[in-house]
Amino acid sequence: MPEEYIMATFADEESAADTLTALRSSKHPLHRVYSPYPGHRILHAMKMKKSPVGYFTLIGGLLGFFAGFGLSIYTAGQWSLIVSGKPVTALVPFFIVGFECTILFSVLGNIIGLLTQARLPRTEKPPEYDAEFSGTRFGILTSCRPDDRDKVMALVREKGGVGKVVRSDETKVTKVTKVN
Amino acid sequence: MGNSHLTSTEVQETVIKTLDPPSRGYWLTVGLLALGILTGAACWGYQILIGIGVGGQNHPVAWGTYLINFVFWVGIAHSGTLISAILYLFRAGWRNPIARAAETMTVFAVCTAGLFPLIHLGRVWLVYFMLPYPNQRNLWPNFQSPLVFDLIAISTYLTVSSLFWYTGMLPDLAILRDRFTGTRKKIFTVLSLGWTGEHEQWRHYTRTYLFFAALATPLVISVHSVVSWDFALSIVPGWHSTIFAPYFVAGAIHSGLAMVLTLMIPLRRIFRYERLITIEVLENIAKTIILTGLIVGYAYLSEYFIAWYSHNIVEQESFLWRATGTYRTEFWIMVICNSIIPLILFVKRVRTSIPWLFGISILVNIGMWYERFVIIVGSVAHGFVPHSWGDYAPSIVEMGIMLGTFCLFFFLFLLFVKHMPSVAVTEMKEAIAKENDHA
Repeated sequence: MPEEYIMATFADEESAADTLTALRSSKHPLHRVYSPYPGHRILHAMKMKKSPVGYFTLIGGLLGFFAGFGLSIYTAGQWSLIVSGKPVTALVPFFIVGFECTILFSVLGNIIGLLTQARLPRTEKPPEYDAEFSGTRFGILTSCRPDDRDKVMALVREKGGVGKVVRSDETKVTKVTKVN
Repeated sequence: MGNSHLTSTEVQETVIKTLDPPSRGYWLTVGLLALGILTGAACWGYQILIGIGVGGQNHPVAWGTYLINFVFWVGIAHSGTLISAILYLFRAGWRNPIARAAETMTVFAVCTAGLFPLIHLGRVWLVYFMLPYPNQRNLWPNFQSPLVFDLIAISTYLTVSSLFWYTGMLPDLAILRDRFTGTRKKIFTVLSLGWTGEHEQWRHYTRTYLFFAALATPLVISVHSVVSWDFALSIVPGWHSTIFAPYFVAGAIHSGLAMVLTLMIPLRRIFRYERLITIEVLENIAKTIILTGLIVGYAYLSEYFIAWYSHNIVEQESFLWRATGTYRTEFWIMVICNSIIPLILFVKRVRTSIPWLFGISILVNIGMWYERFVIIVGSVAHGFVPHSWGDYAPSIVEMGIMLGTFCLFFFLFLLFVKHMPSVAVTEMKEAIAKENDHA
């Protein structure tokens, strides 16, 4: 039986987080959750894994360190001149170049991580997106079998939210968040 | 934070209201600043046409106002990152209302600072010589030189602070996109990169922001350390000192915090931000200025102590001359404005009074500009050999360029605060939610 998509919106984070917990325990899939700020209650209720952005940052940092150090050593080796009495491969000054490049490339890696993982930039917003999600309201897109629709709507109402059925062809759900 | 009665809606509405069509007074101010920029550009054009000799810098003072202003603006840039990164890591809630404007100040201050090495080059079209690029004679920049460290550090700092600033603004740009129509909606749609506030976006965003803060913290310390090594790695008495790195970092934060007050106090009044940027926020900045002022004062004393304790007659002469010689007025302005006047902020009534805070912030800015003057000019003007001693005074062309760059900074800042969100709305909403939870 095809599933129905329900968009539930809430005026406060606590109600949204309670609904999320209830939906997770009743095994309803959570497709998308919107919030105007990174509320810790919601993030806790979602029990999400840590973002892999850090790996991008780390790779960037390692690349930067070796690029900065490597460039300094390579260029100094081109003429092998003693400058200011320092050795041709002068580790202390080259460490400064390596350090600055580490930070620079880490940050570039960090940004690449954010853009690729959060799939930005996007040209289209999801159809169920409401402008109020960037203001003060919280939204949860879930789905259920048509038989369970009233139960889910009742749950949303009980938690203080407003539920709306969204046509499945409107949702364009591409990635389903796994629930335990 | 003192904003317990604030609501998310109020914060959002207050900030959106600041983007209302500007008044005639605003455009008049912008126009006057643009005129100042044109004056500076004309002076720079004249210098390019005639030669670097139109400036007052000459033997033995080869680094005049161009380098003074470079160090001054890099210093101003520092407190933006302190507020946005270091205080973020310390979870200091009072930073939220001022973080955006401080970051903006950082970005524009680095841009302004970055102009000065170009101006000082004289033949600016040869600037690419500083870049490490493959060329037919295999000539590369000397990576052992502190000036090359500086190029790398400042360009890294500009890149990092700009990206940090923009990333922090993404959710706020989405707020504006969803509330405006017409051309502004189109602009904010492009700038917000399609941000929707989905849980997946927040998951990656919060992590990215944390790493940004963690990376910007050592960077901010390293950048002004590197700037200080432009001086400390030479053997000039007055420059060759191991305390220069922490001394410069503390001085940078001192001047930057003063500039934050100088910008925030009028901004708060004009944009009716009194409920967002509360007196407690300004008081906390003032308390930090006391701390940095004490560190700077300690550094001034240390320099004299080391000159006396080392029994180095050149060092002793240099520092005695600094306090009693040609530039004694500049020296005492520096000492009084940077180390003594901030001590008045120990009095609660002073640090909670807007006119006092504004006045002290201006004096600290003046004092910090003179600190750069005393260090840069005062040291080389009175070096090792008496026959090479000489004085320096900026020429009218240098003054014009300086005016132009000051106008440029305020011009960019004014344009930003009237057309973009000058307070981090999303961070404020998060802080309000946390405060309500604790309540």
